[in-house]
Amino acid sequence: MIIGELWRLTPGGEQETLHTSKFQIVTNNPMVAEALGERCHIVFLEHGSDRDVIETVRDLVHRHHRVLTAPLAGSVKPWETPYRSVMVSVSKGTAIDATSLELVEFALMVIGQSRERLETTKPSIDRDFQTVDLSLIESALPSVEAIGRI
Amino acid sequence: MKLEVGYIDIKGIRFGDYNAVEDGILIVNPEPLLEPVLEDPLIKSAHFEIATPGESIRITPVKDVIEPRVKVEGGGGVFPGMVSKVDTVGSGKTHVLRGMAVVTAGPIVGFQEGIIDMTGVGADYTPFSKLHNLVLVMEPVEDFKQHEYEAAARLAGLRTAAAIGELARELVPDETVVYETPTIAESFKEEWKDLPRVGYVMMLQSQGLLHDTYVYGVDAKRTLSTLISATEVMDGAIVSGNCVSACDKNTTYHHQNNPVIHDLLAVHGKKINFVGTIITNENVYLDDKIRSSDWTSKMARYLSLDAAIITQEGFGNPDTDLIMNCTKLEKQGIKTVIITDEYAGQDGKSQSLADADELANAVVTGGNANEVVVLPPLDRVIGTLDYVDTVAGGHAGSLRPDGSIEAELQIITGSTNEMGFNRMSAR
Repeated sequence: MIIGELWRLTPGGEQETLHTSKFQIVTNNPMVAEALGERCHIVFLEHGSDRDVIETVRDLVHRHHRVLTAPLAGSVKPWETPYRSVMVSVSKGTAIDATSLELVEFALMVIGQSRERLETTKPSIDRDFQTVDLSLIESALPSVEAIGRI
Repeated sequence: MKLEVGYIDIKGIRFGDYNAVEDGILIVNPEPLLEPVLEDPLIKSAHFEIATPGESIRITPVKDVIEPRVKVEGGGGVFPGMVSKVDTVGSGKTHVLRGMAVVTAGPIVGFQEGIIDMTGVGADYTPFSKLHNLVLVMEPVEDFKQHEYEAAARLAGLRTAAAIGELARELVPDETVVYETPTIAESFKEEWKDLPRVGYVMMLQSQGLLHDTYVYGVDAKRTLSTLISATEVMDGAIVSGNCVSACDKNTTYHHQNNPVIHDLLAVHGKKINFVGTIITNENVYLDDKIRSSDWTSKMARYLSLDAAIITQEGFGNPDTDLIMNCTKLEKQGIKTVIITDEYAGQDGKSQSLADADELANAVVTGGNANEVVVLPPLDRVIGTLDYVDTVAGGHAGSLRPDGSIEAELQIITGSTNEMGFNRMSAR
């Protein structure tokens, strides 16, 4: 299994490692991007929808990454919260992980069935949605960080 | 374990200049009760209000509902690990102030708190409209962190309930009921050998800092599935620490009065052999879900169960845990009945659960949380209506100019409880 370290080339041509974390987070939640950006690689879909997040996760699954957290929102209905964050392995397997694919396809079906999101009226409520989404994904950190490899 | 529960019936609450229970009336002197609450630097203000069944009162936003209890004999104190020191509870004698509750109210997470109406249509949908409620209204300091303030508000409610419960220590109960749970060896005794061995799988909400349940003070998401005695639960070993949608939040009151536990104990030794209660969590991390449901099924097998009742809290990704628990038990030949609620759309036509399996073929519903209700304007609001438009089940325009509210049942505390605590269901 290869651990995919994420790196970039500096202006001087040096290879600089950005993250060595075993997981990455696909999110449209700016609070997650800010809070966890130093801890792992973030695929940040600014202004993206929950469907955009899950479809990006599906693309990663097609490239043999594994889904690590439940892609369905936790006790918040899709039409209530605009935010979604999903943890995905950085490492790749040798084939598509069937369970991961099943989970994302099912999540897409649930989103497809849900009705149009009702407008929330207050910026403070938007922050609350961001906070709960961050809290959900943060709750997985001790579990994912407890093991050396995924 | 054997627990003698003495129920003291509360018929009213009034303010006074001392704290006591006299002739079934709780007399509340706010100052000494609020002192420890206000010591918390995150709580800017706090005061009590009284809500009586039938009064034209709307309480919102509701965080938790807690029944005051006190340990009179036996080890430990109520809410062990939270209010009392960590010590095994569930034996000896406990006094309960029945017919009342401490309700904590005030904003925490703007979209996930609920309403208790004391009269009208809304009152029919919540069991808490039938209680004399001592409402602890709290306001956080500015720029608070929600998870820190949630802990402060949670502790304030539990401490207040414990302090009120203490007033019942020397009282003579109106009714005494003895609850007894068997050891594993006792559960195999001859006279019960023809009864089906039934267990209870209680799923505890544990998805994040604002979606948590605590067992003896431990955050349930950091636990493996384990066994607990029904009587420990009655003594407050499990407390609510979450802000999920109001309709299917298991408040601390629900845990203290868990109807599955009470109903199973009522027929234990007669129709069934109630062998034990397994508690398991609802984590976000997929390997945790697999590990916890594997563990639940191992324990069910270890207890040699024939059947189990499974209850849930919340919805969405916890439905995955629910189905994992159900199917893993069924595949071992253990029959299951699920108690849950539904999000089937306002017309009731959409898929009810976010996960499903053909082995989940015995389901009891607590109702459709998307059903629309119109709550009439009431004379008095305890708390604030600022959040009605934004709580789960409400929407912009939910609060009408005349003070009435058009919203889904989600907005009403305890309306579609997934322990089956309320009266709604379907055939």
